[in-house]
Amino acid sequence: MTAGEGNELSRQRRWRRVGALVLWSVTSLVVFIAAWQAVIAIFHPAPYVIPTPHDTYFAVTQNWSSIWPLAVGTFRETLYGFAAGAALGFFLAVAMYKVRIFRSLSYPFIIASQAIPIIAIAPILVLVIGFNIYPTIIIVAWIVFFPVTINTLDGFLNLDADLLNLTRVLGARRWRRFWFVELPGAVTPLFSGLKIGAAYAVTGAIIGEQADSSGSSLFQYQFAANNSSRTDLVYGLTIVMMAIGLLWFVLIVGLDHLATPWKHRPTSRRWRDRGKTASTPSLQNE
Amino acid sequence: MNRRFSKVVLAASLVAAPLAVIANDAAPASATSLHAMTFAYDWPVPDMELIPVLVAKENGYFTKAGLNVSIKFPPNTSTTIKMLSTGSADVGLVTTADMVSAVVAKVPLKSIANYSMSNNWGLFTKPGTTIPLSQLKGKTIFSYDDNWTNTMLPFVLKKAGVTAQQVHVVSASNDVPLLLNGRVNFSTNTTNYEIPGIEAADKGKQPGEVLTGSALGVPNIPIWDYATSTSFAGKNGTYLKAFLSAVKQATKWAVANPTAAATLFDKAYPASGYTNAYNLSAWKLTVPLLTNAKGQYFVESDTQWSQLTSAMKAVKEIATVPTPSSIYTNAFQPTS
Repeated sequence: MTAGEGNELSRQRRWRRVGALVLWSVTSLVVFIAAWQAVIAIFHPAPYVIPTPHDTYFAVTQNWSSIWPLAVGTFRETLYGFAAGAALGFFLAVAMYKVRIFRSLSYPFIIASQAIPIIAIAPILVLVIGFNIYPTIIIVAWIVFFPVTINTLDGFLNLDADLLNLTRVLGARRWRRFWFVELPGAVTPLFSGLKIGAAYAVTGAIIGEQADSSGSSLFQYQFAANNSSRTDLVYGLTIVMMAIGLLWFVLIVGLDHLATPWKHRPTSRRWRDRGKTASTPSLQNE
Repeated sequence: MNRRFSKVVLAASLVAAPLAVIANDAAPASATSLHAMTFAYDWPVPDMELIPVLVAKENGYFTKAGLNVSIKFPPNTSTTIKMLSTGSADVGLVTTADMVSAVVAKVPLKSIANYSMSNNWGLFTKPGTTIPLSQLKGKTIFSYDDNWTNTMLPFVLKKAGVTAQQVHVVSASNDVPLLLNGRVNFSTNTTNYEIPGIEAADKGKQPGEVLTGSALGVPNIPIWDYATSTSFAGKNGTYLKAFLSAVKQATKWAVANPTAAATLFDKAYPASGYTNAYNLSAWKLTVPLLTNAKGQYFVESDTQWSQLTSAMKAVKEIATVPTPSSIYTNAFQPTS
């Protein structure tokens, strides 16, 4: 098999995997809705306690013109906060890896930072910073940086020591050793941390909106719906928030896929091989 | 010897059994003979507005009325309605605006008595600062984003001659620190919470400006009421009357003895987070709200609910206007 044929085969396998993933996701959604409807059919709860999937769907669609800009706002807050938290987490992990004293000094504070209830910090941030997007960004970053830092640091600390010694023997400078050996070795745990952060980032954004609503926000809209006993809309907005969280997770999975091609390709990507077969003269010469 | 001993034991038990029955009949009613009821407060933590129900419990008014009332606190302010509708609580304290929203959403609830009889909601400025209503344009106003504030604010804007786009309305979990730090120009709250809150946070100082009632152009309608589910009301009218009767007695006692009432609250909830000074100040500010112009407690009227539902419809808090009779009843009001 030539490199081109190998790449084509792995591409087909990849699309089959994606197709299977989509099918299972749709199936799990159908199962979820069926279970929801079954609970209503069996227990007959009042609609202001558990609305039907149908009522929830219509509550969202009827109010979509109000919900969409708020969802975009929450997504934007999550994006900025996630980027800030991921960057902070990564650079902290690098600093802790490279400087042992800094690692010893900062580790306890990093652990303790997660024991502080975010609900208590949020109003203080608003008090100090004011009514703008920054308190929400800080809260999201606060939640995201921890799994990124810990996972990335673990990745660095568990690199193959023999491989690192080999690079030193071969005369690799610190920067090249970091770029070609240490960083690729820590990428997989880094993305594990990012995935965990992605799952919690939306929660952080909603907590931030609770503490600081200087305009309309998804939290505020849900709060008003709850006050008005619009349970169908409350459920619908919860599903919108879940969807934002899922979207984030899928984005990070996609980024992981792009950043770690060696995990799903038998060979390196060779763009010039696209469309060529084994009989192509240029490939025969290799 | 054994036969004689067993005869003695049998004789003793034959004598003791009737005596025990007589003694039981003569004893005062124990908790097991009282009708159990659950009261849901409107706030996740106890505060001084709970005093009437607490006094009724602690001073034995509920027991004399044949009730054993337990007090529950909701996880958040909008759960009391749900607790009543699902039977997790029998009677609750809710805001009249939340009551209207619930009825419009077809939640089967009924208001059975007013808690307060007038509107003490208003705008407040920080100590030492006075901003007349005419200067509302461009200012930042704090709102808890609750149904009541959302209904009252348009009256204020109309009185000040500004539109919603000409002011900046913000929400957060607590208004006092934001007001004192100048993050907001006005906070919105009720007098019996805001004034003691500022006193407690700023060494006894009073708000610079307190604007309420006609100064804001808001209708003078009650803010809080006692509510129950329609199913509970249908089957337990006697107990609801007994409940309101006990609470009315307790309210009168607490009005006449505010210091003792605040002390009783502190003893019942030592970890409430509120000082005795706060509780006393807040309760004293609540007392004038509890009776109407005729000196009556609890009594509701068509007018109060019509005014409220019209106001909520005008600001699109509700889509339809329910009739007052679908919202309240005075059928369980105590006669004395």
